[in-house]
Amino acid sequence: MIHFDQVSKRYEGGHEALSQLSFEVPTGEMAFVTGHSGAGKSTLLKLLGLIERPSHGVISVDGRSLAKIRHSGIPKWRRHVGMVFQDHRLLLDRSVFANVELPLAIGGIARAERARRVRAALEKVGLLAYERQLPATLSTGEQQRVGIARAIVARPALLIADEPTGNLDPQLAVEIMGLFGEFQQVGTTVLIASHDLPLIKRMKKRVIVLDHGRLVADLAAQEVL
Amino acid sequence: MNTVPETLHVPADAPQRNIHSRGNRFASWQEHHRWSAASSLRRLASRPFGSLLTIAVMGLALALPLAFYLLLGNVQQLGRALGQSQAISVFLQPGRTASQAQLLAQQLGDRPEVAAVVVKTPQQGMDELAQMQGFSGALQTLDDNPLPYVLQLQPRAGVSALALEQMVADVRTLRSVDLVQDSGSWRQRLDALLGVGNRVVLVLASLLALAALLVVGNTIRVDIASRSEEIGVLLLVGASGAFVRRPYLYAGIWYGLFSGILAALLAVLIELALATPVAQLSQAYDGKLQVGGLPPWLLLAVPLVAAALGWLGARLVSAWQLRKAV
Repeated sequence: MIHFDQVSKRYEGGHEALSQLSFEVPTGEMAFVTGHSGAGKSTLLKLLGLIERPSHGVISVDGRSLAKIRHSGIPKWRRHVGMVFQDHRLLLDRSVFANVELPLAIGGIARAERARRVRAALEKVGLLAYERQLPATLSTGEQQRVGIARAIVARPALLIADEPTGNLDPQLAVEIMGLFGEFQQVGTTVLIASHDLPLIKRMKKRVIVLDHGRLVADLAAQEVL
Repeated sequence: MNTVPETLHVPADAPQRNIHSRGNRFASWQEHHRWSAASSLRRLASRPFGSLLTIAVMGLALALPLAFYLLLGNVQQLGRALGQSQAISVFLQPGRTASQAQLLAQQLGDRPEVAAVVVKTPQQGMDELAQMQGFSGALQTLDDNPLPYVLQLQPRAGVSALALEQMVADVRTLRSVDLVQDSGSWRQRLDALLGVGNRVVLVLASLLALAALLVVGNTIRVDIASRSEEIGVLLLVGASGAFVRRPYLYAGIWYGLFSGILAALLAVLIELALATPVAQLSQAYDGKLQVGGLPPWLLLAVPLVAAALGWLGARLVSAWQLRKAV
């Protein structure tokens, strides 16, 4: 379970990105975080990925306070969190296979097992045939799917995605969201930041609405129209 | 895209002991070392001009102290050779007999500082003077031979200037000795100069090693800066600092190793270039001067030490640079 308790984040310079934010996401749930640009969606995900630390409040995941994770423990934590970014963050000089393999190589997984898992993840996102290609030779949607394969290949307990469909056409965006839905079905907690309201409505999942860093609505799946 | 492959059905918290075993981790760690070593070498090869320039600068920096070391070693040899040719002349009191001269020669020859003693009779001295231009006429006017017996002491190789000075002082106190001519002060000055030279080589080697360290450090710094995006991605997917640093440390080792090899080659070339003039100088000293080359262990040690320097430079810079990363 993800638990935010009175979490605030103030950046250097005084900008308050999040203000006394409290909510919970049970294990295995899929939820959207939405709001206008600057609402604090990305900051919220950065706090979960330990890219940023909160200024106030407590964040815990499955009962473990993230504040207790020291700097040296951050890599290990990130291996349990799959992260998908709007700009994909792929290594352009390495093949699709090598990109997806990264979290497993970092985690010290044996080569044969890595190959099996990478191929399974690529098959899942429909890119098995592209494993030897460089990311630059793929379309934006395909690159995003490589990013998703990389995020899920290590079977993370928590999957967070920041505007994963930002650059995609509506049809591809629905397909990508469908993929996230499938990961939720196998027990992964999925948290997606998006401002694509039509898509969010279509997915019929819980929606957390932020405005200027504050929680303004927390809609259950059945409340989403 | 609609079917979930079997491998992804496993819950995230499922036991993974079989694939996360210590053996697997070690094998994976070894594999990453191999990959880092190979990929860093490929990166060096992918920009040959820049890499060669760095290696050349480092190689020259490391070759300089080697060249000085070589020069100093040969000056030391020269000093010894000159020292040997500078015998100490002991002039006995006039009127001393041949047997007294032989007895004293035997006594002095037993001293540990002395390698050999040559006794020159007054007649030999007179003959040497007669051979000198302008003396023959003057010598004919003498009724008696006024020259004394002279003992020429050859100092033993490796004896310190201080020990020789002490011996000369002892010889001067002997009753049968009239005068002692010694080049001890010359030897002392040479020893002092060589001492300064040794210190200069040491300081120079330290400074140039530091320069090599900075060259590697700066090269790695630029490399890291140009790959900051990649490093950011690696850190985001859970790479540790050690994992990210590894290729850069290998790059430092390669730079060091290659520049060390270059420095050793340059030192050998300098040695070969010096061989002919030193051999000519040696002939001038009856072959007493030996050409002193760099010992093989030093030539082997230079690339290894340089590789360690490269690693250290890369380690310091990468630790500093990565601290600023995500």
